[in-house]
Amino acid sequence: MDGTAPGHPQGPYVLNLAPESWEEHLDRASTWLANVVTTQVAFRQALEIAVPKIEEPNIRQFLSEMLDRARQHEEVAHELPRALGREAADGARSLAGVVMDVARKALDTVEGLAGGARGNWKDLHHLLLLNLDAMGAFAIAEQLGLALAHPGLRDLAWGVQAEKSTDQLILQELMLEMAAVSILYGERV
Amino acid sequence: MQPAMTRASVEALKHLPTPVRPRIDASDIWVPDGYTVEPVVAGLSFPCALCIDPEDGTLFVAEGGSTWPTRPYMTPRIWRMAPGRDPEVFAVENLGGPRGMSVRDGYLYVSLKGGYNMRITRHDLTTRERVVLVDDLPSGGWHEPGGPIFGPHDGMMYFGNGSVALAGTVLPEGFTVDIAKHPHAHDVPGQDVTLTGNTVWARDPRLPFPYYAETGPFKPFGSPATKGEVIKGQLKCNSAVWRSRPDGSDLELLAWGIRNPYGLAFGEDGHLYATDNDMEEKGERAVGEDPDRIWRIRTAQLPPGEVREPEWFGYPDICGDGLPVWDDAHKPIRGKRAEPLIENPPPWAGPAAYLFEPHTALGKLAFSRSDTFGHRGKAFVCQFGTYAPLNTNREKHLRNGFQVVTVDFEAGTHEPFMRNHHGGPASATPGSGGLERPVDVAFHPDGRSLYVLDFGNNTANKSYVVAYAHTGVVWRITKR
Repeated sequence: MDGTAPGHPQGPYVLNLAPESWEEHLDRASTWLANVVTTQVAFRQALEIAVPKIEEPNIRQFLSEMLDRARQHEEVAHELPRALGREAADGARSLAGVVMDVARKALDTVEGLAGGARGNWKDLHHLLLLNLDAMGAFAIAEQLGLALAHPGLRDLAWGVQAEKSTDQLILQELMLEMAAVSILYGERV
Repeated sequence: MQPAMTRASVEALKHLPTPVRPRIDASDIWVPDGYTVEPVVAGLSFPCALCIDPEDGTLFVAEGGSTWPTRPYMTPRIWRMAPGRDPEVFAVENLGGPRGMSVRDGYLYVSLKGGYNMRITRHDLTTRERVVLVDDLPSGGWHEPGGPIFGPHDGMMYFGNGSVALAGTVLPEGFTVDIAKHPHAHDVPGQDVTLTGNTVWARDPRLPFPYYAETGPFKPFGSPATKGEVIKGQLKCNSAVWRSRPDGSDLELLAWGIRNPYGLAFGEDGHLYATDNDMEEKGERAVGEDPDRIWRIRTAQLPPGEVREPEWFGYPDICGDGLPVWDDAHKPIRGKRAEPLIENPPPWAGPAAYLFEPHTALGKLAFSRSDTFGHRGKAFVCQFGTYAPLNTNREKHLRNGFQVVTVDFEAGTHEPFMRNHHGGPASATPGSGGLERPVDVAFHPDGRSLYVLDFGNNTANKSYVVAYAHTGVVWRITKR
């Protein structure tokens, strides 16, 4: 080609990887990750309330083991922002209590599946919804890890998400198994 | 936050903030003597396509959307990088995002998939007006649009659309691609076919307990087929390649039965070539040792409007080597062995123009037309790289691909042209700043340079695959 050949784009360029851009990404992500703590604390607290009330020994065993896992998952939730080099939001633990209270009241007013049921069966329904919320938060944290090219964050969040997915199946099965006797006979779980 | 491309030093690229790809360093890449390689852009998210305006050398790069795997979705946009000007976002697309591009006569042509459709759009380079030229090509599943490109002999637009199903029937493998988002998606044949009645049984991942579902070919998941059932062929099918006028009119089906015609290019010999990927060795319709291949589509030689019967290249029943998927040579060592799906297959249009090892995962290709650059007449083919051990558990395929190769069709040979010194993706070698997964290539009109698009970190293990945003790179190879 002669000297009039088309030119090239200059470079190299980085796309959103300049320090200011990237730090802003990390700030936004770590701020959002407080939601993971909040939702997980709400679930763990709900389990702590529910487990002592459970009378059926197998279900009590299932939920006790789930509570152990929930406490471990809560610690991981606090680790997530640290994986990005950020500290957990200060208010996350206390905020979780407020959220739990709000969530509990909202759930109590739902005239859905648990409406009219007597006894503590509706606790299982509440746990199902609260775990779903927390599981979704960990799943979003995993997506943030992928979007930020951060396998540390991704792997932490994925590990919990996978265990909570199994917990969700357990909760669903327990709730469905006990639904009929709770609604028809008013039996406690 | 607005996306921003900013200049950086080559040294700065060796200290990036992205932990999964912290270093971009061309010295970790091997190219033949007489060529140099350098990074042009880093930080792209799931880039799938690039092209260069032959008039002024402007580089267009498409990134984002919902790719491989589908999560996370990143903004699907097209960058315009004109010589001497700052890069800018030229267009933002939608849904699944852009997969292929060409520039011609003041327009940028783009292939996309999203929802249940694949489509071709055209963007005016001056006004940025966007027009949908071809729409409603059935998609919503696994495989990709190909092209668009333009025939040097007829000025027609050529493009492809890969299959919805992974292996002839929609299956729960990685169901986020199809079943979860597009439960009604299915393959559509290009010609009438009679079914054998064979179906595939699989667990339905949509339901709350392990529910068994039966699925036939050319049907949505959970829809069985019956022996002797006839599925009507459609002009708008998939696993297919078409041509049309540049405005999208006079659509003509050239070929079908190509599982994933992602790369399309005309050679200097005037033939249209299409890359295609092998069937996978996993799941409920597993196929072992199916070679990756490049097809030569002979109907493209006919004048527009003169194709009486499209060619059929074998999907879903014939492997790249011409043997049926149920042949002993393709017996899987993992997964359920495949059975015939089509009772009366059309004549097979093979043999392939070129066969590669299985699981090299072919991307796009381009032909050298420059004596200055060299290798004139050869195809430069992206080998994206294997998803083993996910797609096959054969040890020997664990490092296939992850390079650009030249193919001499006449001699029947191929050679590496761009690869890491240690082979495999950069992420497999601690500290390497080299190539991850080449997905597209384009020659610059100066006749001395080749641009290579690197999708970024996309790591498979035995159970699943993940992809990390902000890890895509554009490389430039220049003949000294």
